[in-house]
Amino acid sequence: MKHLDAALHTRGESAYVDDGTPPDGLLHAAVFGSPVAHGVVRRLDVTAARQREGVVAVLTAADIPGDNQVGPILADEPLLATETVHFRSQPLAVVYAESPEMGRAALAAIDCDIDELPAITDPRQAFAAGEIIDRPRQLTLGDVDAAWEICDVIVEGKCDLGGQEHVYLETQRARAWPLEGDNLRLQSSTQSPYATQRTVARVLGLPLHRIEVDVQRLGGGFGGKEDQASPWAAFAALGARLTGRPVELVLRRDEDLAMTGKRHPYQADFKLGLSEAGEILAYEARFFQNAGCSADLSMPVLDRTLFHSNNCYRIPHLRVWGVCCRTHLPSNTAFRGFGGPQGMFVIEAALHKGAAALGMPREELQRRNLMVNGDLFPYGQRVLESRAERTWDEGAALFDLAAMGRRVEAHNAEHLGSKKGYAVMPICFGISFTATHMNQAGALVHVYTDGSVSVSTGGVEMGQGISTNVAAIVARSLGIAPRRVKVESTNTTRIANMSASAASSTTLLNGNAALLACHSIRRRLDALLAEKLSLTADQVVSVLDEQVLVDGEATDWTWNRLVQEAYFARVALSAHEHFATPNIWFDAVSGKGRPFAYHVFGSALTEVTVDVLRGTYTIDRVKILHDLGRPLNRSIDLGQVEGGLAQGLGWMTLEDLRYGDDGRLESHALATYKVPDVYFMPEDLEVRFLENAGNPLGPFHNKAVGEPPLMYGIGVFFALRHAIEAYVGEVSLPYATPLTPERVLMQLHGRRLADIVAGTDGQEADASSQDEEPSLTTA
Amino acid sequence: MSTTAASNRHPIRLTVNGEVHEREVEPRLLLSDFLRHDLRLTGTHVGCEHGVCGACTILLDGAAVRSCLMFAVQSHDHEIETVEGLGTAEALHPLQEAFRDTHALQCGFCTPGFLMSLVPFLAEHDDPSEEEIRHALGGNLCRCTGYQNIVEAVRLACRRQRQGDAHGLGEGAVPGEMS
Ligand code: FES
Ligand code: FES
Repeated sequence: MKHLDAALHTRGESAYVDDGTPPDGLLHAAVFGSPVAHGVVRRLDVTAARQREGVVAVLTAADIPGDNQVGPILADEPLLATETVHFRSQPLAVVYAESPEMGRAALAAIDCDIDELPAITDPRQAFAAGEIIDRPRQLTLGDVDAAWEICDVIVEGKCDLGGQEHVYLETQRARAWPLEGDNLRLQSSTQSPYATQRTVARVLGLPLHRIEVDVQRLGGGFGGKEDQASPWAAFAALGARLTGRPVELVLRRDEDLAMTGKRHPYQADFKLGLSEAGEILAYEARFFQNAGCSADLSMPVLDRTLFHSNNCYRIPHLRVWGVCCRTHLPSNTAFRGFGGPQGMFVIEAALHKGAAALGMPREELQRRNLMVNGDLFPYGQRVLESRAERTWDEGAALFDLAAMGRRVEAHNAEHLGSKKGYAVMPICFGISFTATHMNQAGALVHVYTDGSVSVSTGGVEMGQGISTNVAAIVARSLGIAPRRVKVESTNTTRIANMSASAASSTTLLNGNAALLACHSIRRRLDALLAEKLSLTADQVVSVLDEQVLVDGEATDWTWNRLVQEAYFARVALSAHEHFATPNIWFDAVSGKGRPFAYHVFGSALTEVTVDVLRGTYTIDRVKILHDLGRPLNRSIDLGQVEGGLAQGLGWMTLEDLRYGDDGRLESHALATYKVPDVYFMPEDLEVRFLENAGNPLGPFHNKAVGEPPLMYGIGVFFALRHAIEAYVGEVSLPYATPLTPERVLMQLHGRRLADIVAGTDGQEADASSQDEEPSLTTA
Repeated sequence: MSTTAASNRHPIRLTVNGEVHEREVEPRLLLSDFLRHDLRLTGTHVGCEHGVCGACTILLDGAAVRSCLMFAVQSHDHEIETVEGLGTAEALHPLQEAFRDTHALQCGFCTPGFLMSLVPFLAEHDDPSEEEIRHALGGNLCRCTGYQNIVEAVRLACRRQRQGDAHGLGEGAVPGEMS
C-alpha cells in the first residue's frame, strides 16, 4: 500500500497549516525576542509599536488572561518573559498586524532595556553553580563499588556530545479562529494536539472543552513539535482572543532556529571495568545534561539516557547518575531517540577505550557482552526476547563483517593519503512512553451506509506514515479495500486526552485502539449475520475482500449489503475504543520497574574513508539488519529506518550547533547549520529486516520503528575514529561530537599543529584551534 | 521595511502554469510569497528562505530556480511552472508517479521542490549515472527520507522514460505492498 498522502504530496495539494485559504481579516503574529541570553528586564515599552502602520495589537505578559506558564511538567517556563530573560530570543512580546512584514517591521519599535548578566552555556559550569532542575537521578545494578576490585582493566574517560536541531522542513506554525462565545479553534503543526489544547486553555484561563485543536499533517516533527509547538499556537490563540480576528503565526527559519529547543547536549564521565577475557564487570557513568533554560521534557529525556546507558550489553554492576543542568539556552526538548542516543554513545565510547586497553578488537568486546534472555536492564526489567545476538550474528554473516575488516586493513596498509575505518553499532531501544500514563490511545471508527469508513485516532501524520498504517489496519480488520477508509485529521473534539505522537509508539497505541474499535463493529455485524443467516454457534463468519464468508465459503452478502442491513436493523455502525499498553510500570523512587512493552534490536556495519590531508571523509557503506517484528508496510518502515539513520549520521558528524559565550546561536541558518544532503549519504546503504521475528504486542505483530534506527548513526563516529587512529597511531582522542571534517583534521594533525604553534614566536592559535583545544592533547 | 503605498507597486504580467496573470506587487515581494499568497499556489513550499533547501524550486522559462531568491517583479514577462502545473490528477507526470511508487516522500514538504528540480533533468537524461543523479538532487534537502528512495524514484522515472512507459505500467514495479 502506498503512502496515503502520496498523490497529494506530489501534486502540491497537501494542506499544511498556512496553505488553506486565509480567513477574512487574518492577522499575522510576529514575536519579539530578547536581545540577550540572560538579564533583568528594566523596561519593555510597546506603545510605539502599537502605533505602527498595520499593527492591530501588541501582546505582553500583562495581557495574558490566564496563566503565563507553559511548562509541561514543571511550572518554570513563562510564555512571555517578564522580570528576567533566560535565553537569547526568549519571547517578550508579540505584534499582531495586517501582514507578516508589517508585524516584523513593528518589532523594531519595541523599546526594551535589559541589564545583561553573564550567561552560562556549559552544563558542568551550570552544575557547579548549583543550577540544576528537579532532582538528580540514579539507577543501579549489583554493587559497583565492590566490583572494581575484581576488574582486571579499568578505563575512564569523558564525552562531550553536541545537540541537534530538528530542521523539520516546515517551521513552527499555527492558525487560530475566535468562535462564538469563548470558543476557539486552532490548526497547529503539533505532534501533540492535546498538549497544545492544554497550553492554550491554560494561558486563556478556559476549560479544555472550549479549545479545539485540529492537525491535518506536519511537515516534519522529530520531537521538536512534541511540546514546543504549543507556545506558538498559544500566541495565535491569544491574538485571536485579544483582537477578535483570526491569527496566523509562521516562524521564519532563523527565528525557529534561535527560539526553539534542540536535542540535549550532554557531557559525561565514564568508568568501565573489564575482566582480562573481555567481560564487562562494572560500569559507572555520570551525565550532565544541558537542559537549556527550563525543564520542558528534560527529566524524562534524562530518564531515557539512564535507561539506555547499557545499550544492549550485560552489565552486572552498574551505577548511572544524571542531572538536568539549567543553562541560558532555549529549553532543550524531545528529539527522536529522546535521550537514549546519548546514553548509548557513552557506553560505546567506554567500550572503545576498554578494547584498546585490553588490546582486543572493539567488536569482539561488544559481541562478547551482548544481552541474552534473562539479563537485566538498569531499570530492573529482564530481557525476555533478546535479539541482540541474533541481529549481530546474522548481520555480520549477511554483510560479511570479516571481509569489511580485511578490506579496511588492506586499504590502510596500501594507502598513505587516505585511511579507512569501520564499526559495528548494535542497538536496543525500549518501546513505550517512559511516563506510564501516556501509554494510552483512543480511536473512533464510523462506518457509513455506503460502506465507506472514517477513522479518527490520536496519531498525528508527520510523514512517518501513521495514516497509511491506520488505514491498512482498519481495512484489514474489516475485510475491505484500503481505499474505502478515510483517515481523518487529528482533532481534540473527536479524540480526547490523546498522547503525543512520539516515543515510536504512535502505531502501537493508535493502531491497537483502531483495531479494537473495528472489532467492536465486527462483533455487532457478526451477531446480525448469525441471526440473518441462521448460523449455528460453531460456524465462523468472516469478511474478506468485501465478501462475507461462512466457514470460508462465499455467501451472497457483500460488505455493502451487510452495512445496509445493519443500518435498517438499527445496529450501531460507530465505535470508540481505548487501548492501554498492558503490564508496564515504573517506580521513580526505586528506579525500578517494567517501563517498556518490548525492545527493538538491530545492528549496523559502517565503513568510512578519511582523506588524511583534508580531514574530509565519505561514508562508504552502511549495512543494517533491523528487527521490525513483522513489517506492517515494508516501504514505510524502510523509509523510517533510512531517515532515522540519516539523522543519526548527521548528529554525529555535520550538525554543528555553535553557541557563542553570550548564548547566541552562531549557526542560525541552514547555510551554516548543515544537515545531510544526498552526497553525504552512503552510496552503498542496505537495510534488511530480521526474518521470522514476531511481536505479539504490536498490531499484526509489528514492532515500532520511528526512533531506534537513529542510533545506528553512532557507528559512524567509531568508524571515523578507527580511520583516524590508523593514521595517528594509538592515542586517546576526545569523545567529542559532532566529528566534523574540521575536527577530524585537528585530530589527524593537531599534535603537529600544536608543536608548530608552540614553536612559532608571537603567533597565537587561531579560533578554530582554540575550539579544538582538547584534541591537541591526549585525554 | 514594508510599504503599502500604492505608488510603490509595480505592475507585472506573467504566465503561470499556462495562465496569464496581471498583478501589482511591491518591489520587495519575493516570488515565493507572490506564488503562495497572491496566486494561492501553495504547493511551492518555503523551508529555509535563503536558497539552501530547494523546497521553493519552480521552473522559470523551463529552468529550475529558487523562488525564495527572486523578487516577484523579476518574473515579469516570464513563464513559470509550479508543481500544480505538473501533470493532472488523472495523468500524473512520470516523476510524480515515480515518487509515489518508490515511497520517495514522507512528510511531503520537500516533495514539490524535488519534483521541480528534476523536471529539466529528466528531460535531458534517459540513463543517468549514479553521480549524475546525485548531482541533480544535490541542491535539495529532505529531512525525512535519507534520500535512498528519492534516488530510486529518479532511476525509475528514467527507466520508464527509456521504455516509453510514462504511466508506470509494466516494468519498474517496486516492492512496498503490505506484506
Ligand atoms: S526556501 Fe528557497 S531554497 Fe529553501
Ligand atoms: S519528506 Fe519530509 S522533508 Fe522530505
